[in-house]
Amino acid sequence: MSGISKSIPKQDTAEKTSGEALYIGDIKVDGMLHAKTLRSTKTRALIKEIKLPDLPEGYHIVDYRDIPGENYVKIIFEDMPVFAEKTVNYYGEPILLVIGSDKQQILKLIDAIEVIYEPLEPRYKYTKSVVHYEYEKGNTDTAFANAVRTINGEYKTGYQEHIYLEPQGVISLYDENKITILGSMQCPYYIKNAVMQVLNADEDGVRVQQATTGGAFGGKEEFPSLIACQAAVASAKLKKPVSLIYDRMEDIETTTKRHPSLIKFTAAIGPDFTVDGIRAHVSLDSGAYIGLSGVVLQRAMIAASGVYTIKNLSVSGDVYETNSVPNGAFRGFGAPQMFFAVEMFMEHIAKELKYSPLEFKLNYLAKTGDATSTGGQFRNPIIMRDMVHKAWEISDYRRKTTEFSQLGVYKGIGMSLFLHGCGFTGSGEQKHIKAVVRLRKNKDDTVTILASSTDMGQGAATTLRKIAAGILELSVEQIIYNKPDTDHVPDSGPTVASRTIMIVGGLIARAAVDLKEKWKPGEEIIVEQRYKQPEFIKWDEDKLRGDAYPAYSWGVVVSEVEVNPVTWTVELKGLWSVYDIGIAIDERIVIGQIEGGLLQGISYGMMEVMECKEGIIQQRNVTDYIIPTAADSINMHTVLMDNSYPLGPYGAKGAGELPLVGGAPAVAMAIENAIGKKVTRIPVTPEYIMELMKNG
Amino acid sequence: MVKSYFPKTYRQALEILAKSNPAIIAGGTDLMVKKRRWSGLSPGFSEDMIFISQLRELDYIRRENGKIYIGANVTLEKLLHDKDIPEILKKAVASMASPGVRHTATLAGNIANASPAGDTLPVLYILNARIVIGSLERENVIQIEDFILGPGSIDLRRSEIIKEIIIDDTDFDFMMYEKVGGRKSDAISKVSFAAAVSSVFDMVTDMRIAIGAVAPTVVRIREFELQLIDTPVNEMAQISGLVKDLYKPLIKPISDQRSTADYRKMCVLNFIEEFLNKAGKRIGKEKDIDW
Repeated sequence: MSGISKSIPKQDTAEKTSGEALYIGDIKVDGMLHAKTLRSTKTRALIKEIKLPDLPEGYHIVDYRDIPGENYVKIIFEDMPVFAEKTVNYYGEPILLVIGSDKQQILKLIDAIEVIYEPLEPRYKYTKSVVHYEYEKGNTDTAFANAVRTINGEYKTGYQEHIYLEPQGVISLYDENKITILGSMQCPYYIKNAVMQVLNADEDGVRVQQATTGGAFGGKEEFPSLIACQAAVASAKLKKPVSLIYDRMEDIETTTKRHPSLIKFTAAIGPDFTVDGIRAHVSLDSGAYIGLSGVVLQRAMIAASGVYTIKNLSVSGDVYETNSVPNGAFRGFGAPQMFFAVEMFMEHIAKELKYSPLEFKLNYLAKTGDATSTGGQFRNPIIMRDMVHKAWEISDYRRKTTEFSQLGVYKGIGMSLFLHGCGFTGSGEQKHIKAVVRLRKNKDDTVTILASSTDMGQGAATTLRKIAAGILELSVEQIIYNKPDTDHVPDSGPTVASRTIMIVGGLIARAAVDLKEKWKPGEEIIVEQRYKQPEFIKWDEDKLRGDAYPAYSWGVVVSEVEVNPVTWTVELKGLWSVYDIGIAIDERIVIGQIEGGLLQGISYGMMEVMECKEGIIQQRNVTDYIIPTAADSINMHTVLMDNSYPLGPYGAKGAGELPLVGGAPAVAMAIENAIGKKVTRIPVTPEYIMELMKNG
Repeated sequence: MVKSYFPKTYRQALEILAKSNPAIIAGGTDLMVKKRRWSGLSPGFSEDMIFISQLRELDYIRRENGKIYIGANVTLEKLLHDKDIPEILKKAVASMASPGVRHTATLAGNIANASPAGDTLPVLYILNARIVIGSLERENVIQIEDFILGPGSIDLRRSEIIKEIIIDDTDFDFMMYEKVGGRKSDAISKVSFAAAVSSVFDMVTDMRIAIGAVAPTVVRIREFELQLIDTPVNEMAQISGLVKDLYKPLIKPISDQRSTADYRKMCVLNFIEEFLNKAGKRIGKEKDIDW
């Protein structure tokens, strides 16, 4: 273990355990008004008329007509309105805000509003493609022409809801020249840019400050921009502070979730019973607006060959629009869907061809220097073979595989192999984000990190300080990191895509080297670093060709389960996992990310059921939407294998999303092996297992 | 304006109930959730409320003359740690909610809530629970299956209160309780099942089966149970097909956001089979040791 990996106390532990930390719901501002959203009760309809009650003094309605700028939330696709205008496209779509000082009065007014709709035919199926991509590696047609047989697979994944501890919320403060947004968020500058567009304001007219953020998991990447825009419009109109904070049910029903998917494969099996080519198609359900769905689709498609080198690969994908709540960013961003599918498919091919699945997979495992799915290159050493062996050893995998293979045992063990591309897909960093980071040496010889990266519980406030302290040879206490405020920090990009340590931390490390050279005691010095894409990275955004990511983190998860043959409930018996995330910046923080991420992946695979019936989410609270409790978890055995990445700070790569990606396939395979039936969809619930035992 | 009452004694509570007919709140773990509103607003109670959790008089567990008396203010947590409470009831309680909820929720509340999925209900049904209802005028005792009328509906007038619950203190040869939830803790059951059997000279003398969350109220059919008396213990496994056929028409679960009708039905029928198999084996074994 490197010196940097040695754990230190997390910066936020004291204020969170004492209760001093101020979350958005704790912040009270003089004269603050509350806002409540009036929502569509139709999945798709024209708004014919809105009948408003008489408003008492001090109560207001804010809708699309109050927007000074454009009625779109600036994400990637500008298709989602801030407030619905003439049509509503999903159940729960925001139409207007009712604002005032007394919450009970606001609720009364909301109840008194009558919206007259003319219903339109809604769409719930994968029929209307709004984004399409495809790419090809090698020559798949030839591989299929020479095939002795083909093997098909079709895999389905469900919704996943973030259930961050703290629901979404923002407060908009009014000043004559400036709107300030306080909120629970991942990406202050996304919000700033979105609010500038709706207010028609310039850089100086909008300020965004992160409040203590109680978890996010990707759910606070783009969604907070919507409510920030709404609150900002209200605040600008009323010249008052306005708070817009969701309760849990409203949050579950109306905020973004992980995209449900349908993934189809066909493999060309050559004369030597090898996989000579794979064709894949990915369908994602975007819900009513596209938002980030196209980028999620890219990540899913790029992962189509998993951790394997498949010479001939043809991948296409579509985002389908449906009249349901919009889906968006969620830890893993398309990869969890694809890794479930591709890991199961490889397992199923092996079983079909009567190979040992693991030996079979190892034959195709990518090696250092191999071409990636998109024709880029795995440049850095791949140590997956050692990782698999380590996982075998600590989980007693081979003995258990044999022991559990007997009939009527209902025990199973499964292993997933996975990777995660670190940072934005393709040339996103270079072309769109252009991260900037500054370090300010203060007169008292402390150093302040000026970056827009947020700590949402994952530990960035601690790890980024460690990086700067280590290089500057200062104590961590001498490094100051405050919650980002766009009036004080440059845009170092959003806190997403497992990029914070590798990209932003990398820039901090370089700035620290620079500052160390310029160091003069007692003087204020500011140094700046801008992101530069490594020369060797070439990416064709339209064709999805080239190096999709500068680096990859890797993982192996072994999961052991026992299935109860009376109720088909599944009990987790063991979880072992091995990772290559370069070098861990703080071991305890990384283990925290891994244990939380892995459990979230496991429960995505076996527990978290969310259904959308006729456009309406059925599991609307934490009683019905089941995520694991401490009682459902077990002791996890985690091994980090150092594999320093030359361009990362201290050799670090990304770690935030990776552990989630491997959970679902590992547990689905363990269940498949326990029941001896082919599993093709997640979550693998007792209800689904019953169906498999009956029919399949 | 909603009024709140905090009586100091049980007698005072009865007087308030007689006069003002308020709704009763004990632990509040169901009501506070049902009546919650926008964060920052107090719960949306539309009627006067009487708080009773401070009445220590109703916080007792007594075991006398083959019966166990449980006061209306006894929390679930207290049941878990009391030596007089049957293990099967403890098992049901341990499967409920979370430690925080168990420390304030009461057994009486679980009955009054009358949810088809109430976790203690199948156990209370097989222990022949009787509800003691108090009011200023009189005290009367009613069987739990007569007290619970349907989902959220109980036979309790506005002037009345649950004073205590009486359960059988029977020493069964074999008991089984199963709850199927979406997770191990803090889960509303998809299905729950309680059963018990006693025997004399290898013949069944008493057999009870209660099933939760598969009908508007817990299913316990005494006439079926009577038919099973005098079954030889070693034949219990063989009759499981017949027993399942008896119960099948009465298991009418629904599909909802927590599970499916098919799944719930399967679980119940499997539990019946498992109970008969295990009971047959277990009783046989113990007899081996005794003799």
